[in-house]
Amino acid sequence: MSVSPAEVSETLRRKDIRDRWFLSAPALVLIGVASAGPLLIVVLYSFLAPGSYGDVKWAFSTDGWFNVFFSRDIFDDTVSLAEAHFSIFWRSTRVALATTVLCLILGFPTAYFIATRPPHNRSIWLFVITIPFWTNMLIRAFAIQEVIRTEGLVNTLLIKLGIISAPIQMLFTDFAILLGMTYVHLPLMVLPLYASLEKLDFRLVEAAYDLYASRLNVLTKVIVPLVKPGLIAGSILVFIPALSSYVIPRVLGGGKNLMIGNLIELQFGQGRNWPLGAALSVTLVAIVLVALLFYVRNVGKTGGGAHG
Amino acid sequence: MHGIKKWFGNFQAVDDVSLEIRPNEFFTLLGPSGCGKTTLLRMIAGFEMPTEGSIRLDGTEIASLLPNQRPVNTVFQNYALFPHLTVAENIGFGLKMLGKPKAEIAATVAEMLKLVHLDGRGGNPVTQLSGGQQQRVALARALAPRPKVLLLDEPLSALDLKLRKSMQIELKRLQAETGITFVFVTHDQEEALTMSDRIAVMSQGKVRQVGEPWEIYDRPAERFVADFIGDTNFLDVDVVAIEGERARVRLASGAEILATFPADIRPEGRVTIVIRPEHARAVSPSARPSPAPPLSGAVHDVVYLGTDTHFHVRLADGTNFMVRQQNARSGPCGFAAGDPVGIELSDDVAQILRD
Repeated sequence: MSVSPAEVSETLRRKDIRDRWFLSAPALVLIGVASAGPLLIVVLYSFLAPGSYGDVKWAFSTDGWFNVFFSRDIFDDTVSLAEAHFSIFWRSTRVALATTVLCLILGFPTAYFIATRPPHNRSIWLFVITIPFWTNMLIRAFAIQEVIRTEGLVNTLLIKLGIISAPIQMLFTDFAILLGMTYVHLPLMVLPLYASLEKLDFRLVEAAYDLYASRLNVLTKVIVPLVKPGLIAGSILVFIPALSSYVIPRVLGGGKNLMIGNLIELQFGQGRNWPLGAALSVTLVAIVLVALLFYVRNVGKTGGGAHG
Repeated sequence: MHGIKKWFGNFQAVDDVSLEIRPNEFFTLLGPSGCGKTTLLRMIAGFEMPTEGSIRLDGTEIASLLPNQRPVNTVFQNYALFPHLTVAENIGFGLKMLGKPKAEIAATVAEMLKLVHLDGRGGNPVTQLSGGQQQRVALARALAPRPKVLLLDEPLSALDLKLRKSMQIELKRLQAETGITFVFVTHDQEEALTMSDRIAVMSQGKVRQVGEPWEIYDRPAERFVADFIGDTNFLDVDVVAIEGERARVRLASGAEILATFPADIRPEGRVTIVIRPEHARAVSPSARPSPAPPLSGAVHDVVYLGTDTHFHVRLADGTNFMVRQQNARSGPCGFAAGDPVGIELSDDVAQILRD
């Protein structure tokens, strides 16, 4: 009795496939339990009816989704677009975008500075960048509050110096939200940018200077295209958590200017409308997915992955 | 350039270098790694500023200009091609930065592609090219803006031997066709001798000798130059008399020969001469009894190389002397280890060293 080479290779191939599934099982289980599972529960809840004291009634209902986009007048039942929701979504996207842009403007020079230090010093600078992560975000938010409130550090200093006569209202404004968001998310921009810049071959920069490029051209024609993967990764890493941020707008925005995160929290708390909260959450995930899709396409188009 | 000095902290990379590079010349800076040749090149390009001294191009001082203000382009050792651009975009980069019109850029790029035999490859991404092709793109990119001086920083060191040989010829052709001054940095003596109009040999930040390839090879001024380039025999001799541009020297054997010497010294007393192995011939002592050959000894090693045979001879006074003989006939080479030999010298082959 003999086994043909083809049979042997077929057996090996099957074993190989089995081994791969076996080896990736822990990751697959983790993704299933920690990511896909909860998301499915949220999707399920968004199609149920709200219970009287929070929770859900196990009855199919599209009211949650209906309420994301439309509002029904409680007196005459006329249906109109849920402008409040749209304006909150739009507002959140705007704030998240502004945060991303601010982080880019501040993060790029920072990352460039670190990447051009001697290798030994780079780790020190990176260490400095990560220090804010050691403190809870809520505490950092309150710390900023302390700095910018009416009787806070900045106003006191400016009045003492005679630059202004009355304190400037900074806390509970859009400025405060942007300041806090940028501060909190900056490391998420700096780290991937640094990773890209550190790999950048500075001989290419020399080559560009040698070929008559001005400083601006070196930046826009050589450095930025080459670190594009880092730029995009950093932007995504900032944009996504900024879009769904909850603590910063609450503490520094004073809860006056709601963002998606606050709106969702409201539905699960005072609003007692879990299906609406779940539907809003899924909508948020959808916005993030669109952003990610944009990211994947952009990287694919420029071939940025090839030298990232 | 004149009186160039460059310090990196406490380390002096370039020590008082003065060089004059002529227009349309293929000039080579030759030396071991760390001798300061690349630093010198980078100062001409503008990536480093000299600590002291001046660099003039056609009479204009350029030492303080930025790299993008100098009509000088560089071919980098690793090519430094822009990976995000195509072949044509790489070649056209310099012209684009100079603000040339699109039509002119396209025409020059096409011309350059032809010059380096890459016609029709303009649309390719540079990352898909072979090492030799990348090398050509780097050359074309540096030549496209028609610089006054083209700097080449060991551009052939990453290529395999065969490709390197063909690129040497290619470079020489490009230099002749474009009429641009080439300043070439290498540690490969053969490369330097093959391509250069003139060579500056450097070590430890100093220029040791400047001259045409034959001068560097046949008339080395210092032990370093003689030792660095090719195989050499060193012999200690006594100067007997100066006869015009030659010195009469007495060898250990008592024989006297004429030797050339560097123009800036007047040799006397005990000096060292160099004789290249191929300028000597091993002869059977019985074949030339009188006058006896100037040197004699015993063969202690024979190295057969196909085209040549190297005889390592131990002279009467114990010095080793190497003779390189061309294998003009087929068959065994004549001498075996242990054979006594006489060594004849061609005329005008001995050179007195400065130190």
